[in-house]
Amino acid sequence: MNTGTQSGEALPARAGLGLKPEHIDEIIATEPDVGFFEVHAENYMGDGGAPHRALTAITSRYPLSLHGVGLSIGAERPLDKAHLARLKALVERYRPQSFSEHLAWSTHESGFLNDLLPLPYTKATLERVSAHVDAVQQTVGARMLLENPSTYILFEDSVIDEIDFLEAIAENTGCGLLLDVNNVMVSAVNHRLDAFAYIDRFPVERVGEIHLAGYDETVDGAGDRLLIDAHNSTVADDVFALYRHTLGRTGPVPTLIEWDNDVPAFPVLLAEATHANQMLDAAPHWRDVRVARRA
Amino acid sequence: MNRQTLALALAGSLASALATAAYAAPLAPEKMVGMEKCYGISLKGQNDCAAGAGTTCAGTSTMDYQGNAWKAVPAGTCTTMDVGGHKGMLEPTAM
Amino acid sequence: MDQNAFASALLDPTLPVPGGVTSARGEADAARFAVYRNNVAVSLSKALGQRFPVVQRLVGDDFFAGMARAYIATTLPDSPLMFAYGDTFPDFVAGFAPAAALPYLADTARLEAQWTRAYHAADIAPLTVEALAGLAPELLGGARLAPHPAAALVRSAYSVGMIWQAHQGDEVGAQTVMTPESVMITRPEFDVRVHVIAEADAVFAAALLRGESIGEAATAAFGTDPTFDFGRAIVGLTSLGAFAGLAS
Repeated sequence: MNTGTQSGEALPARAGLGLKPEHIDEIIATEPDVGFFEVHAENYMGDGGAPHRALTAITSRYPLSLHGVGLSIGAERPLDKAHLARLKALVERYRPQSFSEHLAWSTHESGFLNDLLPLPYTKATLERVSAHVDAVQQTVGARMLLENPSTYILFEDSVIDEIDFLEAIAENTGCGLLLDVNNVMVSAVNHRLDAFAYIDRFPVERVGEIHLAGYDETVDGAGDRLLIDAHNSTVADDVFALYRHTLGRTGPVPTLIEWDNDVPAFPVLLAEATHANQMLDAAPHWRDVRVARRA
Repeated sequence: MNRQTLALALAGSLASALATAAYAAPLAPEKMVGMEKCYGISLKGQNDCAAGAGTTCAGTSTMDYQGNAWKAVPAGTCTTMDVGGHKGMLEPTAM
Repeated sequence: MDQNAFASALLDPTLPVPGGVTSARGEADAARFAVYRNNVAVSLSKALGQRFPVVQRLVGDDFFAGMARAYIATTLPDSPLMFAYGDTFPDFVAGFAPAAALPYLADTARLEAQWTRAYHAADIAPLTVEALAGLAPELLGGARLAPHPAAALVRSAYSVGMIWQAHQGDEVGAQTVMTPESVMITRPEFDVRVHVIAEADAVFAAALLRGESIGEAATAAFGTDPTFDFGRAIVGLTSLGAFAGLAS
């Protein structure tokens, strides 16, 4: 399978931006120099109207990354067939250069919870998620990228390291990985891990896209630092530093600036993209595929 | 009105509506656009941009899951809406 | 971990942190689990606020947050399509005791719910006035019209159209809202149209959208108002984009 979906093309290894409805007119009028745009698939699952008109206009000018937030790939329950069919239709209609989803769950028997919830890393969850990723790729007819989560809690049941878990899913299904560098920072701080060591162990040869975003900071019940994956501000300096470190291993990779809450004026997003592009330009043009193994 | 009388009345009424200057045939698409302004009271909405809810894959540090105790505070524009002589004040209600 | 137990604890803050949840300190931490509770509550409440902005402004942010919380406790989204969440919110508002002093609130919510539905409805070219004019006079009374997918009628004992209009700007002045209003919502192309129409026209439109014949619908409208102007109503509704075509 190709890195891209049905078009066979991949996203350019440049900075891209999340497409927000309030910016669409400005983007179409000024055609800013942006590597690609990313949309949440679910926001374009209506039957028709202005959202589809806008996405058609954008995809005639820019590469598209289709990012699902509602598939609930980590759920105990079976995948929602109606939702899979909607995803398939969207991929067929817009032929995105990339299609990605999260290692998370968000539905249970009473409905959709609209949050990316964590799951323990066990043999059982590994089998289930692998089966779900398989089913998604078969049904949608495209290779997908699976994103590492940001988490606030741990599970006593977890017996597999997160990177090993992600790599095993990729190995089992042929899917690629979306490396969210902000999520790495958030989870590392929240669970007292070393974010740089996480990047050093990540299987960079499987990375098809990187995400960057801003985080919020608070404390937990014991006063320990607790980072929230809030997507409501500029990318933090320590996340940009971690990104620079990441690029040292991955080489240039398509990189999305995510800003979903308190969305600013478009030039603010462009400035973030410029910052990321400067780092991409300085990145080595090779991938360090050595994967350091734990002792 | 029997069926035949109704049919005649409807056809006549439609014909006269179509014959008025605003609706004169041939009906080019650009004329169609203007026609709806002649009918009813057109309400102007804001730009369609912020159209309904979008999804999120972000978290929030806003605290809003507590507070089962209901406090009805009339803080909105309802205080300026007159419902038959009294303003729509919201009285604190036990829930 | 049982995801149903996890979800139940997310939705009910009086429940303890579910078993099996821990932290790097080796113990469960309520503040950490609360991040997920917040994410669910805030994101769903925000989704309702985005679909019902006029209702939110009418009652204020705090009241709306409480009302949204109460609704979320009864009704979670049944799909990941957030723009479709809240289809039953207007009915909930109608039965929500603390809002009983605002009898127009539920109908305002109905208007907003239909607006979003129209915004996302399928792209179908509406029946044109020209096609209507081409209908043989003797077939007119028996013909039925297929509703356009975006078309919806909100009939209210209150001035919901005027309330909605007043809240599109920043300043909302004093208003008397006791006049009944019927609001026709359509989307002939990409822009949603919102029109207040006359009572007899609303009776006529409602009957047509239910699938009654043009003759039956007109008879109902004449029953409401003997001065009902049939030609003006059917041409007007057609030009708004209320119909997809002649029903087969």
